[in-house]
Amino acid sequence: MSTVRFVFPKVRLTEILKTPGGLTVAEALERAQTNLEEIRPTCIADLTALLEYAEAGLEQLPEPADDAGLADLYAIAVRGIGAGAVCGVPAVDEALTSLCDLIDHLRTRGRFDHEAVAVHVRAWRLLMNPDLPDGGAEPVLDGLRKVTSRYAGPEPA
Amino acid sequence: MSLDPASRARFNLERAAVMLLDDTPMGMSILVQIVTGLGAKTLYRCASVEQAQQVATSYELDLAIVDGMAPSGAGYDFVRWMRTEAKEPNCYTPVLITTAHTPASDVARARDCGGHIIIKKPIAPKVMLERILWVAKEGRPFLFSGSYVGPDRRFRNDGPPDGIGRRREDHMVDAGEAPADEEAASDARAAS
Repeated sequence: MSTVRFVFPKVRLTEILKTPGGLTVAEALERAQTNLEEIRPTCIADLTALLEYAEAGLEQLPEPADDAGLADLYAIAVRGIGAGAVCGVPAVDEALTSLCDLIDHLRTRGRFDHEAVAVHVRAWRLLMNPDLPDGGAEPVLDGLRKVTSRYAGPEPA
Repeated sequence: MSLDPASRARFNLERAAVMLLDDTPMGMSILVQIVTGLGAKTLYRCASVEQAQQVATSYELDLAIVDGMAPSGAGYDFVRWMRTEAKEPNCYTPVLITTAHTPASDVARARDCGGHIIIKKPIAPKVMLERILWVAKEGRPFLFSGSYVGPDRRFRNDGPPDGIGRRREDHMVDAGEAPADEEAASDARAAS
């Protein structure tokens, strides 16, 4: 039987947060948001570069794809998640999450669906457009989720 | 855990030593902008586990924000290393784990590496601040149990589940009174 030991360490961060000075919550959040807006152009350039890598990777993917090719695409997509919100195109984060889910499901099942992967990459390109009409991204994301959900869950018997 | 974004409550991160681990320049850049915006001034930026181990060995850290680093998951291994190998006080340092995506095969590794809480990307400044304030709360014990070393992740102690009670009492209720002798016990087993 394993033994369990509890330790109650002193958390220095607790004391530091209480020291006089600092910022109000409102000031801090505004500063952080302003900082993020300053890096938006760099983020857009980086995210666009990742998209181009993904498009090139998709083009070179053999049919049926090998696991290494899917792993490469996963590695590209996962690096982009989080940047969409900073770039003002938050739907890209959701599309990339759906693409990562899809690739994870495909690799777990040893399956491949070129069109399912390709539609995600094409959607990524589309959703990079910051001038999409209001509500324009949602039907695209719905479609991607449906595609990914086909491969979620246990393999049918 | 929800924070009013218009709150005038004050907090001070200026004196906190914060380590950031993210192997992507873009991810690191986003983290730096958020954490400096929240007022942190001493940042150790690490792009690899080796750098992070070096920092955790050389400096006292008040907070670590560690990316899981999918697809390798090396960030989780670093957190486990920090819990089991780093010296005090860093082995107890609050750790926020960020993750862009966790493959199904890595969920248990992410859960059990010893981080305080996992934050899914994209990360909003408000969410980051809420989590920092949460991990800084006093009185959270550290648990050393078999293969797990890290903070006790139970958010609250509700006691035993409703209607079940303590195990000793359960036994007494379910089994009734103990048979007086072995023969009666045998009868009871045969009847059940």
